Amino acid sequence: MILRHRSSLQKIEMQMAPMIDVVFQLLIFFMLTLKILSPEGDFNVNMPIGQARADEDTELRDVIPVRLSANPDGTLKDVALGSRSLGNDERVFDRLNNDMVGLVGRGAGGFSDEVEVEIDFDYGLRYNYVIQALSACTGRINPQTKEVVTLVDKVKFAKPRPRPESAE
Amino acid sequence: MRIKSTQPNVVDLDMTPMIDIVFQLIAFFMIVTNFEQTQADERVKLPENQLARPPMTPRDQELYVNIGFQRDDQGRLLDPQPYVFSKEGPKTVTGFGSELQMESRVAQAKKIDPKTITVVIRADSDTPAGVVQDLIKLAQDHGFEKFALKAKSQPLDE
Repeated sequence: MILRHRSSLQKIEMQMAPMIDVVFQLLIFFMLTLKILSPEGDFNVNMPIGQARADEDTELRDVIPVRLSANPDGTLKDVALGSRSLGNDERVFDRLNNDMVGLVGRGAGGFSDEVEVEIDFDYGLRYNYVIQALSACTGRINPQTKEVVTLVDKVKFAKPRPRPESAE
Repeated sequence: MRIKSTQPNVVDLDMTPMIDIVFQLIAFFMIVTNFEQTQADERVKLPENQLARPPMTPRDQELYVNIGFQRDDQGRLLDPQPYVFSKEGPKTVTGFGSELQMESRVAQAKKIDPKTITVVIRADSDTPAGVVQDLIKLAQDHGFEKFALKAKSQPLDE
């Protein structure tokens, strides 16, 4: 009997080129379709239909009026909490936030369900200021834990103000 | 003279590390890419706020409305009039009413109450706030009650 002596195992050469082609195609596809989105958050605004229902609903709660008035160019003229003016400098929303903590959180910065904030703003005021006011009224960031503490959950907008003639 | 018979020296390129890296990259891009059809319009420059956080629970029904300005490449305003960037192109807020009406009708046809739909407003930070309120009023006229105002999340500063 003749035993054929196999000197060495035959090495199977794998064809890598097609795989690498496909892999690069995939890589390019995913690189091109990548769209970097910055994280977005939102503020909920409660705007029920019908004034009667809204009045009925708010009867149970205290409404804190916040008034934002605008200059003709859309910049902030004044922020008022109730009848008290808070000014219009860059720290005004911090002051508004502190006052809200005093009113709602009774110092501890807690959540209150019995209070509603009504934001009243001029037609031409830049939307950015409304968001800042919303943020100052609804919550604050706890300096120690860096977590958001909710102050007021219910926010609504006051009746729209008329559009100024100059805006046309 | 002895001549050394030289066989052509085949350099065996080791492909393994390269393939490893390429697979890592593919895996990275696959995870980062989201195919979810976002309805965000890039023309809208959202206001930034630290308190803006994504909702804890995802909403079932949403209707995105983008309001912003038409700008050139440098970001200068081409038109001082804010527009709603709808599927059918830029429209004025009053002109958007027909589309809201259609959305409301479509929802009703699907047995969805428009009151349960959250209208997500993505407005440019320079938009006059009255325009946003006009839009809210218009949406209310078509039966929408829930609204959410979008802002870009700002990182906490130390």
